[in-house]
Amino acid sequence: MAGKIAALASRLDQLYEFDREPVSLNKLQSGGKFAGLFAGEHVAATEFVIGAFFVLHGVTAKDLVFGLLFGNLLAVLSWTFVCAPIAVRTRLTLYWYLRKIAGPGLTVIYNIANAILYCILAGAMIAVSATAIGLAFKVETPSLSDVFPTSWGWVFITFALGAAFTALAILGFEKLSKFAQVCSPWIFVVFLAGALAMLPKLGVHANFDNFWEVATTKVWNGIAAAGQDKLSFWHILFFAWFCNLAMHVGLSDLALFRYAKKWTYGLFSAFGMYPGHMLAWICSGIMVAAVGREMNPGLMAFEAAGFAGVVGVLFAGWTTANPTLYRAGLALQVITPNWPRWKITLAAGTLTTIISCFPIVFMKLLDYVAIYGLVLMPIGAIVFAEHWILPLLGIEQYRAEKYQWMINWRALAVWFGTLVLCFFLPIHLYFRWLPGYLIALVAYVLLQAMKKNKN
Amino acid sequence: MQRILFGTLAIASLALCLVFPILHFLGRIEADRFKSGFLFASIAWFIFATLRATRKKKSSKT
Repeated sequence: MAGKIAALASRLDQLYEFDREPVSLNKLQSGGKFAGLFAGEHVAATEFVIGAFFVLHGVTAKDLVFGLLFGNLLAVLSWTFVCAPIAVRTRLTLYWYLRKIAGPGLTVIYNIANAILYCILAGAMIAVSATAIGLAFKVETPSLSDVFPTSWGWVFITFALGAAFTALAILGFEKLSKFAQVCSPWIFVVFLAGALAMLPKLGVHANFDNFWEVATTKVWNGIAAAGQDKLSFWHILFFAWFCNLAMHVGLSDLALFRYAKKWTYGLFSAFGMYPGHMLAWICSGIMVAAVGREMNPGLMAFEAAGFAGVVGVLFAGWTTANPTLYRAGLALQVITPNWPRWKITLAAGTLTTIISCFPIVFMKLLDYVAIYGLVLMPIGAIVFAEHWILPLLGIEQYRAEKYQWMINWRALAVWFGTLVLCFFLPIHLYFRWLPGYLIALVAYVLLQAMKKNKN
Repeated sequence: MQRILFGTLAIASLALCLVFPILHFLGRIEADRFKSGFLFASIAWFIFATLRATRKKKSSKT
C-alpha cells in the first residue's frame, strides 16, 4: 500500500515539476493582470442558476443587496488576508506547499478529491448549457425536485454536449482558452442586456422611479417557491463568502497569487466578485422573475435576449467547463499512469458527461457549492496553521518534508475529523464551514503541539 | 495599428450590444428589433475581438 502511494506521489511530482521552484522575481505580474483574470473568471454559466435560485429561495431585495455586498467583501478580504500573504511569502503552489506540510501521500488524496469535485462542477455547467439546446428541440428541462434524468431527450442532449465539449477540449484546449477570453466580456454583457430588456416586462418604468417597488414585490419578494428553503441575509452573506472557499480560504489560489508583487493584490479579486458574483446574480434574478420563476437558464436567456442569449448560455457553459475539464484531467493524472493528455481529458469528460445528465447537479447547485468548499476547507486551515501559528508557538514546521513522511497522519485526521464533525453540526449547511475551519485550525495546532511535548 | 483598429471596433460593438437593450428599456424600439440588433452587434464583437486577439499573437511572436 505504502509502495503504491509512493509511486503515485512520484508520478504526481513529475506532473507538477515545472512549478516546483518558487516563482522568480522577474516573473511577477502587474495588478492589472490580476484584475483582468478575476473579471474574466467569475462570469460563468453557473451565474445564470445561482442568481435565479436566490429568487426561488424567497430572498428579499434588501437581504440580497446587503448580503452580496458584505459577503463578497468578506471573500475579497479572505483572498487578501488569508491567501495572498502566504502566496507571496512562499511563491509556491498549494500542491508543493501542502507536500512539505502533509506529505506526498496526502497530496495524492487531495488531488483525487479535487478531480471528482471539478467533474461535478463541469457537469453542472454542461447541464446549464443543455437547457439552451433543449429549448431548440423542445426537450423539457427537469424540475427543481428532480434527481434523476426525466427524459431520454435530456440524457441525449447532455451526452451530446458533454461529448462535444470533451472533444473540443481534446482538440485544442489552448485555443479554447483564448476563445474564452474573447467570450467573457460579452457573456457579462448578455447578463446586463437580458436583465435590462426584461425590466419593462416586469413593469419597471423608463425613469426607474418604481424599480425598487418592482424589485421588492415581483422579483425578490421574500416568497420561496414550493419545496425550497427560505434564505435570509445571513445565508446570502455566507453564500457569497464561501462561493469560492476552496480558492481563498482553501488556498487553491496560491497558484495564482504566487505571481503577485504584493499581498495587497488580493484586493483585485473585487473585480471578479462585484461584477460576477453580485451584478450577474442580480441580473439572472430579474430574468427568472420575468419568465414566471421557471428554473430554465436557456429559456431565461432566450426570452431576455433572443438567439444571442441562448448562444450566451451555451458559450458560458462551454468556456467554463473547458478549463474545469482540464483541471480535472490534470488532477486525475495521478491515477492514470503515463496516459497521454487526450486520454485523461477523455476520462474526465466521460465522468463529467455521465454526471451532467443528473439534474440534481444543477438543481441543487447552491448546496453543491457549499459542499465543494467545505470538503477542501480543512486543508486551507492546516496550511494556515502550519504557516502562521506553529512558528508563533515555537512548534517545528514542515515535519513531513524534514522526516520524509509519506502522509502526515495528523493532517489527514484533522481533514476527515473536521468533515465528520461538520456533518453533524446542527446548523444550516451554508454556515458549517466557519466553525469547521476553526475546529480544523485548533485541532491541527493541538495535535502538532502534542507531538512537540512528546519529543 | 491593426490591433488598435480592431480593438476599437470590438469595444464599439460591445457598447452597441448595450445600446439596444437600453433603447428597448426606454421604449424606443420593439423587442424583436432589440434582439436582432443585439445579435448583429454580438457577431461584430466576436469578429473584431478575435481579429484583435490574433493580431496580438502575431506581433508577440515576431
